[in-house]
Amino acid sequence: MALIEVQNLKKSFGDNEVLKNITFTVEKNDVIAIIGPSGSGKSTMLRSLIHLEEINGGTVKIAGEAFVEQGVYKRPDVIKKATAKMGMVFQQFNLFPHLTVKDNLELAPKMAGKKADIAAMTSDLLQKVGLSAKEKAYPKSLSGGQQQRVAIARALMMNPEILLFDEPTSALDPELTGEVLKVMKDLAEEHMTMIVVTHEMGFARSVANKVVFMDGGEIVEAGTPDELFGNPQHERTKAFLAKNLK
Amino acid sequence: MADYWSSVILPMLEGAQMTLLLFFIAIIVSVPLGFLLTLAVNSKIKLFSWLATIYITIMRGTPLLLQLLIICFGLPMIPGIGEYLTIDRFAAACLGFILNYAAYFAEIFRGGLLSIDKGQYEAAKVLGLTKSQTTRKIILPQMFRVALPSVANESITLIKDTALLYAVAVPELLHFAETAVNRDFSIVPYFIAGAIYLIMTIILTIFFKWLERRFKYE
Ligand SMILES: Nc1ncnc2c1ncn2[C@@H]1O[C@H](COP(=O)(O)OP(=O)(O)O)[C@@H](O)[C@H]1O
Ligand SMILES: [Mg+2]
Repeated sequence: MALIEVQNLKKSFGDNEVLKNITFTVEKNDVIAIIGPSGSGKSTMLRSLIHLEEINGGTVKIAGEAFVEQGVYKRPDVIKKATAKMGMVFQQFNLFPHLTVKDNLELAPKMAGKKADIAAMTSDLLQKVGLSAKEKAYPKSLSGGQQQRVAIARALMMNPEILLFDEPTSALDPELTGEVLKVMKDLAEEHMTMIVVTHEMGFARSVANKVVFMDGGEIVEAGTPDELFGNPQHERTKAFLAKNLK
Repeated sequence: MADYWSSVILPMLEGAQMTLLLFFIAIIVSVPLGFLLTLAVNSKIKLFSWLATIYITIMRGTPLLLQLLIICFGLPMIPGIGEYLTIDRFAAACLGFILNYAAYFAEIFRGGLLSIDKGQYEAAKVLGLTKSQTTRKIILPQMFRVALPSVANESITLIKDTALLYAVAVPELLHFAETAVNRDFSIVPYFIAGAIYLIMTIILTIFFKWLERRFKYE
Protein backbone atom coordinates (compact mmCIF):
# COMPACT_ATOMS: atom_id res chain seq x y z
CA MET A 1 0.00 0.00 0.00
CA ALA A 2 1.27 3.43 -0.92
CA LEU A 3 2.01 5.71 2.02
CA ILE A 4 0.60 8.74 0.23
CA GLU A 5 -1.84 8.68 -2.66
CA VAL A 6 -2.83 11.90 -4.33
CA GLN A 7 -5.52 11.78 -7.01
CA ASN A 8 -6.59 14.67 -9.22
CA LEU A 9 -5.65 17.31 -6.69
CA LYS A 10 -6.85 20.79 -7.65
CA LYS A 11 -6.22 24.02 -5.88
CA SER A 12 -6.99 27.62 -6.75
CA PHE A 13 -6.32 30.91 -5.01
CA GLY A 14 -9.27 32.96 -6.20
CA ASP A 15 -9.14 32.81 -10.00
CA ASN A 16 -5.56 31.62 -9.99
CA GLU A 17 -5.54 27.87 -10.63
CA VAL A 18 -2.33 26.87 -8.90
CA LEU A 19 -2.58 23.07 -9.01
CA LYS A 20 -4.27 21.39 -11.97
CA ASN A 21 -5.01 17.76 -11.52
CA ILE A 22 -2.01 16.47 -9.65
CA THR A 23 -1.77 12.69 -9.28
CA PHE A 24 1.09 10.78 -7.71
CA THR A 25 1.94 8.21 -5.07
CA VAL A 26 4.63 7.93 -2.47
CA GLU A 27 5.77 4.47 -1.37
CA LYS A 28 7.30 3.70 1.99
CA ASN A 29 11.00 4.63 2.04
CA ASP A 30 10.71 6.84 -1.02
CA VAL A 31 12.81 9.97 -1.11
CA ILE A 32 11.11 12.19 -3.61
CA ALA A 33 12.67 15.42 -4.84
CA ILE A 34 10.30 17.96 -6.31
CA ILE A 35 11.91 20.47 -8.60
CA GLY A 36 10.56 23.20 -10.83
CA PRO A 37 10.56 26.93 -11.41
CA SER A 38 9.39 29.37 -8.76
CA GLY A 39 5.61 29.79 -8.73
CA SER A 40 4.96 26.35 -10.22
CA GLY A 41 2.96 25.23 -7.18
CA LYS A 42 5.52 23.07 -5.35
CA SER A 43 4.95 24.62 -1.95
CA THR A 44 1.19 24.65 -2.36
CA MET A 45 1.25 20.97 -3.26
CA LEU A 46 3.37 20.06 -0.23
CA ARG A 47 1.27 22.22 2.09
CA SER A 48 -1.92 20.61 0.80
CA LEU A 49 -0.65 17.20 1.90
CA ILE A 50 -0.44 18.32 5.51
CA HIS A 51 -3.58 20.47 5.46
CA LEU A 52 -1.89 23.85 5.59
CA GLU A 53 -3.87 24.59 2.43
CA GLU A 54 -7.41 23.46 1.69
CA ILE A 55 -7.74 21.95 -1.76
CA ASN A 56 -10.70 22.44 -4.10
CA GLY A 57 -10.82 19.02 -5.62
CA GLY A 58 -9.23 15.59 -5.54
CA THR A 59 -8.34 12.98 -2.95
CA VAL A 60 -5.44 12.69 -0.56
CA LYS A 61 -4.89 9.38 1.21
CA ILE A 62 -2.31 8.92 3.93
CA ALA A 63 -1.50 5.29 4.75
CA GLY A 64 -4.64 4.22 2.92
CA GLU A 65 -6.97 6.59 4.74
CA ALA A 66 -8.38 9.59 2.85
CA PHE A 67 -8.63 12.83 4.84
CA VAL A 68 -10.04 14.62 1.82
CA GLU A 69 -12.02 12.73 -0.79
CA GLN A 70 -13.03 14.32 -4.08
CA GLY A 71 -12.59 17.75 -2.56
CA VAL A 72 -14.64 16.99 0.56
CA TYR A 73 -12.81 17.07 3.87
CA LYS A 74 -13.45 14.46 6.57
CA ARG A 75 -14.10 15.20 10.22
CA PRO A 76 -11.37 17.16 12.06
CA ASP A 77 -10.23 14.10 14.03
CA VAL A 78 -9.80 12.08 10.83
CA ILE A 79 -7.79 14.92 9.28
CA LYS A 80 -5.68 15.25 12.40
CA LYS A 81 -4.98 11.53 12.59
CA ALA A 82 -3.84 11.49 8.96
CA THR A 83 -1.72 14.62 9.08
CA ALA A 84 -0.11 13.51 12.36
CA LYS A 85 1.70 10.86 10.33
CA MET A 86 3.68 13.64 8.70
CA GLY A 87 6.19 16.18 9.90
CA MET A 88 7.16 19.32 8.06
CA VAL A 89 10.31 21.40 7.79
CA PHE A 90 9.95 24.95 6.48
CA GLN A 91 12.22 27.19 4.47
CA GLN A 92 12.18 29.77 7.27
CA PHE A 93 12.67 27.13 10.04
CA ASN A 94 9.78 28.54 12.10
CA LEU A 95 11.36 27.63 15.41
CA PHE A 96 9.61 29.05 18.47
CA PRO A 97 11.84 32.02 19.35
CA HIS A 98 10.79 32.19 23.00
CA LEU A 99 11.72 28.58 23.73
CA THR A 100 15.13 26.98 24.12
CA VAL A 101 16.20 24.30 21.68
CA LYS A 102 15.19 21.63 24.18
CA ASP A 103 11.78 23.20 24.76
CA ASN A 104 11.26 23.62 21.01
CA LEU A 105 11.69 19.86 20.72
CA GLU A 106 9.68 18.90 23.78
CA LEU A 107 6.66 21.18 23.61
CA ALA A 108 4.65 19.19 21.07
CA PRO A 109 5.19 15.69 22.53
CA LYS A 110 4.41 17.04 26.01
CA MET A 111 1.24 18.74 24.78
CA ALA A 112 0.25 15.50 23.06
CA GLY A 113 0.73 13.67 26.36
CA LYS A 114 3.31 11.25 24.91
CA LYS A 115 4.26 8.57 27.35
CA ALA A 116 7.71 7.90 25.90
CA ASP A 117 10.83 9.17 27.58
CA ILE A 118 10.79 12.61 26.02
CA ALA A 119 14.06 13.78 27.53
CA ALA A 120 15.91 10.75 26.18
CA MET A 121 14.46 11.32 22.73
CA THR A 122 15.52 14.95 22.85
CA SER A 123 19.09 14.09 23.66
CA ASP A 124 19.20 11.34 21.01
CA LEU A 125 17.83 13.57 18.30
CA LEU A 126 20.02 16.53 19.18
CA GLN A 127 22.98 14.22 19.01
CA LYS A 128 21.80 12.97 15.64
CA VAL A 129 21.70 16.50 14.22
CA GLY A 130 24.97 17.39 15.93
CA LEU A 131 23.60 19.96 18.36
CA SER A 132 23.85 18.31 21.79
CA ALA A 133 25.74 21.33 23.08
CA LYS A 134 22.96 23.73 22.14
CA GLU A 135 20.18 22.27 24.27
CA LYS A 136 19.79 25.42 26.35
CA ALA A 137 20.36 27.92 23.54
CA TYR A 138 17.62 30.08 22.10
CA PRO A 139 17.03 29.94 18.33
CA LYS A 140 18.18 33.53 17.84
CA SER A 141 21.68 32.63 18.96
CA LEU A 142 22.03 29.84 16.38
CA SER A 143 23.16 30.01 12.77
CA GLY A 144 20.60 29.31 10.04
CA GLY A 145 22.03 25.85 9.47
CA GLN A 146 21.82 25.05 13.17
CA GLN A 147 18.26 26.35 13.36
CA GLN A 148 17.20 24.18 10.45
CA ARG A 149 18.78 21.13 12.07
CA VAL A 150 16.84 21.90 15.26
CA ALA A 151 13.68 22.18 13.15
CA ILE A 152 14.34 18.72 11.68
CA ALA A 153 14.90 17.26 15.15
CA ARG A 154 11.72 18.94 16.37
CA ALA A 155 9.73 17.36 13.55
CA LEU A 156 11.22 13.94 14.36
CA MET A 157 10.11 14.18 17.99
CA MET A 158 6.57 13.37 16.85
CA ASN A 159 7.74 10.12 15.21
CA PRO A 160 6.41 10.97 11.74
CA GLU A 161 6.26 8.30 9.08
CA ILE A 162 6.81 10.90 6.41
CA LEU A 163 8.81 14.12 6.45
CA LEU A 164 7.98 17.01 4.15
CA PHE A 165 10.66 19.60 3.38
CA ASP A 166 9.88 22.88 1.65
CA GLU A 167 13.16 24.28 0.32
CA PRO A 168 14.95 23.55 3.59
CA THR A 169 18.21 25.14 2.47
CA SER A 170 16.97 28.08 0.41
CA ALA A 171 17.16 30.56 3.29
CA LEU A 172 20.70 29.52 4.20
CA ASP A 173 24.07 30.98 3.32
CA PRO A 174 25.67 28.64 0.77
CA GLU A 175 28.33 27.46 3.21
CA LEU A 176 25.62 26.27 5.64
CA THR A 177 23.55 24.16 3.25
CA GLY A 178 25.90 21.20 3.52
CA GLU A 179 25.30 20.52 7.20
CA VAL A 180 21.53 20.44 6.65
CA LEU A 181 21.71 18.28 3.51
CA LYS A 182 23.95 15.89 5.44
CA VAL A 183 21.27 15.41 8.13
CA MET A 184 18.68 14.81 5.41
CA LYS A 185 20.95 12.34 3.69
CA ASP A 186 21.39 10.46 6.97
CA LEU A 187 17.61 10.29 7.33
CA ALA A 188 17.29 8.95 3.80
CA GLU A 189 19.84 6.27 4.61
CA GLU A 190 17.76 5.29 7.62
CA HIS A 191 14.87 4.87 5.18
CA MET A 192 12.80 7.79 6.31
CA THR A 193 10.12 8.51 3.74
CA MET A 194 10.64 12.07 2.55
CA ILE A 195 9.28 14.56 0.05
CA VAL A 196 11.72 17.37 -0.55
CA VAL A 197 11.00 20.49 -2.56
CA THR A 198 14.46 21.70 -3.47
CA HIS A 199 16.70 23.70 -5.76
CA GLU A 200 19.64 21.52 -4.75
CA MET A 201 20.03 19.50 -7.93
CA GLY A 202 22.99 17.63 -6.48
CA PHE A 203 20.85 16.43 -3.59
CA ALA A 204 17.96 15.49 -5.90
CA ARG A 205 20.33 13.52 -8.06
CA SER A 206 22.31 11.68 -5.42
CA VAL A 207 19.85 11.14 -2.55
CA ALA A 208 16.38 10.95 -4.09
CA ASN A 209 15.08 7.79 -5.70
CA LYS A 210 12.39 9.70 -7.59
CA VAL A 211 12.44 13.17 -9.05
CA VAL A 212 9.30 15.06 -9.96
CA PHE A 213 9.43 18.10 -12.23
CA MET A 214 6.54 20.56 -11.79
CA ASP A 215 5.71 23.52 -13.96
CA GLY A 216 2.59 25.67 -14.19
CA GLY A 217 0.69 23.68 -11.56
CA GLU A 218 1.26 20.32 -13.24
CA ILE A 219 3.59 17.39 -12.89
CA VAL A 220 5.33 17.57 -16.22
CA GLU A 221 7.59 14.61 -15.74
CA ALA A 222 8.65 12.17 -13.04
CA GLY A 223 11.20 9.40 -12.91
CA THR A 224 14.41 8.19 -11.37
CA PRO A 225 17.18 10.76 -11.10
CA ASP A 226 18.98 9.05 -13.99
CA GLU A 227 15.92 9.23 -16.20
CA LEU A 228 15.01 12.78 -15.36
CA PHE A 229 18.46 14.31 -15.35
CA GLY A 230 20.06 11.98 -17.94
CA ASN A 231 17.25 11.73 -20.43
CA PRO A 232 14.51 14.32 -19.92
CA GLN A 233 11.52 13.79 -22.23
CA HIS A 234 9.83 17.17 -22.24
CA GLU A 235 11.02 20.48 -23.60
CA ARG A 236 10.04 22.28 -20.41
CA THR A 237 12.12 19.86 -18.33
CA LYS A 238 15.08 20.27 -20.65
CA ALA A 239 14.83 24.07 -20.53
CA PHE A 240 14.59 24.06 -16.74
CA LEU A 241 17.53 21.68 -16.33
CA ALA A 242 19.63 23.64 -18.80
CA LYS A 243 19.16 26.72 -16.65
CA ASN A 244 19.62 24.99 -13.30
CA LEU A 245 22.40 22.49 -13.87
CA LYS A 246 25.73 24.19 -14.08
CA MET B 1 14.69 72.48 57.77
CA ALA B 2 12.65 70.09 59.88
CA ASP B 3 9.84 72.54 59.41
CA TYR B 4 10.16 72.48 55.64
CA TRP B 5 10.13 68.73 55.76
CA SER B 6 6.90 68.52 57.71
CA SER B 7 5.12 71.39 55.98
CA VAL B 8 6.11 70.76 52.36
CA ILE B 9 7.83 67.48 51.63
CA LEU B 10 5.85 65.20 53.89
CA PRO B 11 2.47 66.21 52.43
CA MET B 12 3.91 65.78 48.96
CA LEU B 13 5.13 62.29 49.77
CA GLU B 14 1.67 61.51 51.08
CA GLY B 15 0.30 62.86 47.82
CA ALA B 16 2.76 60.62 46.00
CA GLN B 17 1.17 57.65 47.78
CA MET B 18 -2.11 58.56 46.11
CA THR B 19 -0.27 58.78 42.79
CA LEU B 20 1.25 55.34 43.27
CA LEU B 21 -2.00 53.82 44.47
CA LEU B 22 -3.78 55.06 41.35
CA PHE B 23 -0.91 53.86 39.20
CA PHE B 24 -0.99 50.32 40.57
CA ILE B 25 -4.77 50.02 40.52
CA ALA B 26 -4.91 51.33 36.96
CA ILE B 27 -2.10 49.05 35.70
CA ILE B 28 -3.30 45.91 37.44
CA VAL B 29 -6.82 46.25 36.08
CA SER B 30 -6.28 47.88 32.68
CA VAL B 31 -3.65 45.43 31.39
CA PRO B 32 -5.90 42.34 31.65
CA LEU B 33 -8.90 44.39 30.55
CA GLY B 34 -6.92 45.62 27.53
CA PHE B 35 -6.07 42.02 26.74
CA LEU B 36 -9.74 41.03 26.87
CA LEU B 37 -10.51 43.93 24.54
CA THR B 38 -7.87 42.63 22.11
CA LEU B 39 -9.56 39.24 22.17
CA ALA B 40 -12.91 40.94 21.55
CA VAL B 41 -11.51 42.90 18.59
CA ASN B 42 -10.19 39.65 17.11
CA SER B 43 -13.34 37.72 17.96
CA LYS B 44 -15.18 35.84 15.26
CA ILE B 45 -18.40 37.22 16.71
CA LYS B 46 -18.78 40.39 14.66
CA LEU B 47 -20.78 42.22 17.34
CA PHE B 48 -17.96 41.86 19.90
CA SER B 49 -15.32 42.94 17.46
CA TRP B 50 -17.39 45.90 16.39
CA LEU B 51 -18.23 47.07 19.92
CA ALA B 52 -14.64 46.70 21.09
CA THR B 53 -13.37 48.66 18.11
CA ILE B 54 -15.83 51.50 18.73
CA TYR B 55 -14.92 51.54 22.41
CA ILE B 56 -11.20 51.73 21.66
CA THR B 57 -11.71 54.43 19.07
CA ILE B 58 -13.66 56.61 21.48
CA MET B 59 -11.33 56.13 24.44
CA ARG B 60 -8.22 56.84 22.41
CA GLY B 61 -9.79 59.60 20.39
CA THR B 62 -10.91 61.84 23.25
CA PRO B 63 -8.86 63.46 26.03
CA LEU B 64 -8.42 61.49 29.22
CA LEU B 65 -9.10 64.70 31.13
CA LEU B 66 -12.50 65.03 29.48
CA GLN B 67 -13.30 61.40 30.32
CA LEU B 68 -12.33 62.01 33.96
CA LEU B 69 -14.48 65.12 34.16
CA ILE B 70 -17.43 63.24 32.74
CA ILE B 71 -17.06 60.34 35.18
CA CYS B 72 -16.43 62.52 38.24
CA PHE B 73 -18.74 65.46 37.56
CA GLY B 74 -20.78 64.70 34.49
CA LEU B 75 -22.48 61.44 35.40
CA PRO B 76 -23.87 62.71 38.73
CA MET B 77 -25.57 65.51 36.80
CA ILE B 78 -27.70 63.19 34.67
CA PRO B 79 -31.30 63.82 35.72
CA GLY B 80 -32.98 60.89 37.45
CA ILE B 81 -30.11 58.41 37.61
CA GLY B 82 -27.33 60.88 38.42
CA GLU B 83 -27.57 60.41 42.17
CA TYR B 84 -26.81 56.70 41.79
CA LEU B 85 -23.74 57.50 39.68
CA THR B 86 -22.05 59.59 42.34
CA ILE B 87 -19.06 57.66 43.63
CA ASP B 88 -16.01 58.56 45.62
CA ARG B 89 -13.78 60.93 43.60
CA PHE B 90 -10.74 58.74 43.81
CA ALA B 91 -12.69 55.63 42.87
CA ALA B 92 -14.21 57.52 39.96
CA ALA B 93 -10.78 58.66 38.85
CA CYS B 94 -9.47 55.07 39.04
CA LEU B 95 -12.36 53.95 36.90
CA GLY B 96 -11.59 56.66 34.34
CA PHE B 97 -7.93 55.71 34.15
CA ILE B 98 -8.74 52.02 33.87
CA LEU B 99 -11.26 52.51 31.08
CA ASN B 100 -8.92 54.79 29.18
CA TYR B 101 -5.71 52.82 29.59
CA ALA B 102 -7.39 49.52 28.77
CA ALA B 103 -8.02 50.93 25.29
CA TYR B 104 -4.34 51.81 24.86
CA PHE B 105 -3.17 48.44 26.12
CA ALA B 106 -5.64 46.75 23.78
CA GLU B 107 -4.04 48.51 20.82
CA ILE B 108 -0.57 47.55 22.01
CA PHE B 109 -1.51 43.87 22.37
CA ARG B 110 -3.24 43.89 19.00
CA GLY B 111 -0.02 45.17 17.46
CA GLY B 112 1.85 42.39 19.26
CA LEU B 113 -0.50 39.77 17.83
CA LEU B 114 -0.14 41.14 14.31
CA SER B 115 3.63 40.98 14.59
CA ILE B 116 3.64 37.19 15.02
CA ASP B 117 4.69 35.42 11.85
CA LYS B 118 2.18 33.04 10.31
CA GLY B 119 4.95 30.46 10.24
CA GLN B 120 4.53 30.16 14.02
CA TYR B 121 0.92 29.06 13.64
CA GLU B 122 1.87 26.68 10.84
CA ALA B 123 4.72 25.10 12.78
CA ALA B 124 2.39 24.62 15.75
CA LYS B 125 -0.26 23.08 13.54
CA VAL B 126 2.01 20.56 11.82
CA LEU B 127 3.33 19.55 15.24
CA GLY B 128 -0.23 18.67 16.23
CA LEU B 129 -0.83 21.44 18.76
CA THR B 130 -4.47 22.36 19.26
CA LYS B 131 -5.66 25.94 18.76
CA SER B 132 -5.76 26.61 22.49
CA GLN B 133 -2.31 25.07 23.06
CA THR B 134 -0.97 27.22 20.24
CA THR B 135 -2.48 30.34 21.75
CA ARG B 136 -1.24 29.63 25.26
CA LYS B 137 2.19 28.27 24.54
CA ILE B 138 3.24 29.97 21.32
CA ILE B 139 1.25 33.10 20.59
CA LEU B 140 0.61 34.81 23.94
CA PRO B 141 4.18 34.59 25.26
CA GLN B 142 5.45 36.13 22.03
CA MET B 143 2.71 38.74 22.00
CA PHE B 144 3.57 39.90 25.52
CA ARG B 145 7.25 39.96 24.69
CA VAL B 146 6.69 42.12 21.61
CA ALA B 147 4.36 44.40 23.57
CA LEU B 148 6.74 44.87 26.50
CA PRO B 149 8.55 48.06 25.32
CA SER B 150 5.23 49.72 24.47
CA VAL B 151 3.73 48.64 27.79
CA ALA B 152 6.76 50.22 29.48
CA ASN B 153 6.18 53.47 27.60
CA GLU B 154 2.52 53.52 28.42
CA SER B 155 3.24 52.86 32.10
CA ILE B 156 5.55 55.84 32.28
CA THR B 157 2.90 57.98 30.63
CA LEU B 158 0.44 56.69 33.21
CA ILE B 159 2.65 57.84 36.10
CA LYS B 160 2.70 61.32 34.63
CA ASP B 161 -1.00 61.26 33.80
CA THR B 162 -1.84 60.69 37.46
CA ALA B 163 -1.27 64.45 37.79
CA LEU B 164 -4.70 64.75 36.16
CA LEU B 165 -6.13 63.84 39.58
CA TYR B 166 -5.43 67.48 40.31
CA ALA B 167 -8.18 68.48 37.91
CA VAL B 168 -10.81 66.38 39.65
CA ALA B 169 -9.68 67.63 43.06
CA VAL B 170 -8.28 64.42 44.46
CA PRO B 171 -5.34 65.51 46.63
CA GLU B 172 -2.18 64.01 45.18
CA LEU B 173 1.45 64.98 44.70
CA LEU B 174 0.85 67.97 42.46
CA HIS B 175 -1.93 69.29 44.66
CA PHE B 176 0.36 69.51 47.69
CA ALA B 177 3.12 71.10 45.63
CA GLU B 178 0.68 73.70 44.39
CA THR B 179 -0.52 74.40 47.96
CA ALA B 180 3.04 74.93 49.16
CA VAL B 181 3.90 77.16 46.21
CA ASN B 182 0.93 79.41 46.87
CA ARG B 183 1.51 79.55 50.60
CA ASP B 184 5.28 80.13 50.56
CA PHE B 185 5.60 82.11 47.32
CA SER B 186 8.35 79.75 46.28
CA ILE B 187 8.62 77.57 43.20
CA VAL B 188 10.89 75.08 44.94
CA PRO B 189 7.99 72.67 45.69
CA TYR B 190 7.36 72.36 41.94
CA PHE B 191 10.91 71.15 41.47
CA ILE B 192 10.58 68.77 44.37
CA ALA B 193 7.39 67.41 42.79
CA GLY B 194 9.27 67.05 39.48
CA ALA B 195 12.04 65.17 41.27
CA ILE B 196 9.55 62.77 42.86
CA TYR B 197 7.88 62.05 39.51
CA LEU B 198 11.31 61.57 37.98
CA ILE B 199 12.34 59.09 40.67
CA MET B 200 9.16 57.10 40.07
CA THR B 201 9.57 57.01 36.30
CA ILE B 202 13.25 56.11 36.57
CA ILE B 203 12.49 53.20 38.89
CA LEU B 204 9.79 52.06 36.50
CA THR B 205 12.14 52.34 33.54
CA ILE B 206 14.77 50.27 35.32
CA PHE B 207 12.17 47.65 36.17
CA PHE B 208 10.99 47.34 32.56
CA LYS B 209 14.55 47.25 31.22
CA TRP B 210 15.16 44.37 33.60
CA LEU B 211 12.03 42.62 32.33
CA GLU B 212 13.10 43.12 28.72
CA ARG B 213 16.51 41.64 29.44
CA ARG B 214 14.98 38.82 31.42
CA PHE B 215 12.80 37.88 28.42
CA LYS B 216 15.31 38.53 25.69
CA TYR B 217 15.46 34.88 24.62
CA GLU B 218 19.08 34.95 23.53
N1 LIG C 1 -1.61 32.17 0.05
C1 LIG C 1 -1.66 32.44 -1.28
N2 LIG C 1 -2.58 33.29 -1.77
C2 LIG C 1 -2.64 33.55 -3.09
N3 LIG C 1 -1.82 33.02 -4.00
C3 LIG C 1 -0.87 32.18 -3.58
C4 LIG C 1 -0.73 31.84 -2.20
N4 LIG C 1 0.29 30.97 -2.06
C5 LIG C 1 0.76 30.78 -3.30
N5 LIG C 1 0.07 31.48 -4.23
C6 LIG C 1 0.29 31.48 -5.66
O1 LIG C 1 0.30 30.13 -6.07
C7 LIG C 1 1.27 29.94 -7.08
C8 LIG C 1 2.18 28.81 -6.69
O2 LIG C 1 2.89 29.19 -5.53
P1 LIG C 1 3.86 28.20 -4.77
O3 LIG C 1 3.13 26.96 -4.45
O4 LIG C 1 4.42 28.95 -3.62
O5 LIG C 1 4.97 27.90 -5.86
P2 LIG C 1 6.47 27.37 -5.66
O6 LIG C 1 6.60 26.83 -4.28
O7 LIG C 1 6.63 26.35 -6.70
O8 LIG C 1 7.36 28.55 -5.88
C9 LIG C 1 1.98 31.27 -7.30
O9 LIG C 1 1.39 31.90 -8.41
C10 LIG C 1 1.65 32.02 -6.04
O10 LIG C 1 1.60 33.38 -6.30
MG1 LIG D 1 7.85 27.46 -2.71
